[in-house]
Amino acid sequence: MSSGFKVRPNQYFDSIFLMGVNKRLSAIDGVRQSAVLMGSPANKRLLADIGISGEGVDVAGPNDLLLAVVADTSQIVEDALGRSEAWIEGRGGVSPARTSVRTQARAVADRPDANLAVLSIAGEYAAAEARKALKAGLHVFLFSSNVPLEDEIALKRQAAEQGLLVMGPDCGTSLIGGKGLGLANAVRRGAIGVIASAGTGLQEFACQVHNAGFGISHAIGTGSRDLSAAVGGLSTFAALEALARDPGTEVIALLSKPPAPETLRRLLTRLEESGKPIVGCFFGARPETSGLPPSVQLVQTIDEAAQTAIGRAQGAPVAPSLQLTPLEKELANSLRARRSHGQIWLRGVLSGGTFCYQAQQILRGLGLEVRSNTPLDQDLGLEDPNRSLGHAVIDMGDEYFTLARPHPMIDGTLRRERILAEGRDPELAVLLLDIVLGFNASMDPVGELSGAIIESRRSAQAQGRDLAVVASVCGTDGDPQDLAAQAKMLEDAGAVVFSSNARAVLFSAALLD
Amino acid sequence: MEKKPTNVMDLLEGPIIAVNVGLNTFAESLKQQNVEVVQVEWTPPAGGNKAMIELLEKLL
Repeated sequence: MSSGFKVRPNQYFDSIFLMGVNKRLSAIDGVRQSAVLMGSPANKRLLADIGISGEGVDVAGPNDLLLAVVADTSQIVEDALGRSEAWIEGRGGVSPARTSVRTQARAVADRPDANLAVLSIAGEYAAAEARKALKAGLHVFLFSSNVPLEDEIALKRQAAEQGLLVMGPDCGTSLIGGKGLGLANAVRRGAIGVIASAGTGLQEFACQVHNAGFGISHAIGTGSRDLSAAVGGLSTFAALEALARDPGTEVIALLSKPPAPETLRRLLTRLEESGKPIVGCFFGARPETSGLPPSVQLVQTIDEAAQTAIGRAQGAPVAPSLQLTPLEKELANSLRARRSHGQIWLRGVLSGGTFCYQAQQILRGLGLEVRSNTPLDQDLGLEDPNRSLGHAVIDMGDEYFTLARPHPMIDGTLRRERILAEGRDPELAVLLLDIVLGFNASMDPVGELSGAIIESRRSAQAQGRDLAVVASVCGTDGDPQDLAAQAKMLEDAGAVVFSSNARAVLFSAALLD
Repeated sequence: MEKKPTNVMDLLEGPIIAVNVGLNTFAESLKQQNVEVVQVEWTPPAGGNKAMIELLEKLL
């Protein structure tokens, strides 16, 4: 085994471009491991993990590009590094001399009518750029995660003073006037507004509304901590006020982890004052209906939230329900009968944080004890996120897995490895997956995972076991990936496919005893 | 509802004119949706030195 690295000083590239280069690099015959990274301290630790070190790495900084390869021979290392440098030269890096707009101030000077900053830089630099945006009078969509809590509070207070909106930090998605920001689906416009602290929750809700033939006025992401006691719901309240005034919004849905008690009290007052029908879905919370204003209806899953919002928009209230069809129950019975005696566990390898929460909530409701790296019940946390135990659902988009790496909705590499690892467990009965389509997500998310699904099922079969794979696809017919083709590819790999995470979870549970 | 002045309605009424700082693909997807975008070719300021960044922010 041989290894080597190259440093390209003062050449900055964004992480998605670098991911593309790394994918090509890792596909070269004889390459065992590779990395294409900017020289931040976190990235340099990743290099050390694969045994790459040296003076050049030590002195490299966040503006220096690092290319590293571990391969079968020194010739392959040299060849691979040479080829990756050629790919990078073909694209050209961002160097100070060649670019015209390098600051927000310059961008706003060029376009004084700009009204929104979209920020997706590393979390450690994001707050400073968000402050600049607010100073320039821009609303902020802050995709970056790992932004310190005190910065979030200060930014949101500043925004409230100025009448501006901060979506995020850690805001995956928004749809403003039908335009998707971040990881968003192609969704038609309509009368339902939604405010969500959870990115995938927002995507799933919007897709279900669209797929039922209805539409979204605006969908506003607020960031995962917005309704905490510390942040106090500053962005949620700003979004709520705007949607309450918006003539195109007839019903407002609110999707979130349970708010802090004091925030919830103020929230309920604001919800009542909005004067519009409200559907609330607080994941993990057992609905407490006492003291609830009559305009507010609480539900437990995204599916029920979408059904309820559609019903209220039509002026025909529905009693939401989440259940399998008779045909699905029949299929579950026949798959369950194929299980071998020792196959007992359900494992979810998920990319959506909300899906991981929702899965735990549904399975808990069915009486199953489920562990997670992002547990609903703190005593059911996994000690080692890399090792599942019993029934387990893993949020592969959690910070533990995404530090210095693209999110699993953008790059399926880590999820593919985890699927293979889970597949090797002879006690595995059901593998639960989610696929999320839309702008800025992987262009072929199923293609990235299908090989691992097929291999896991095949090796189980070779040992006399039948491994059930259940997957949900979150997307619409307008998404760039081709929803129908992605679903078909999943089915061809042997998965049972659902259009909702909640129903995929219900079906998975039905495959157990 | 608290009656503070808000500009959020202006954003909802649109059109969005965006300044994108970070992933190029975010700017591209906005353009595909016919949103006007100015891409900022951002690099970590002050060579990524946090103390220096904070100092610069105070000075500017």
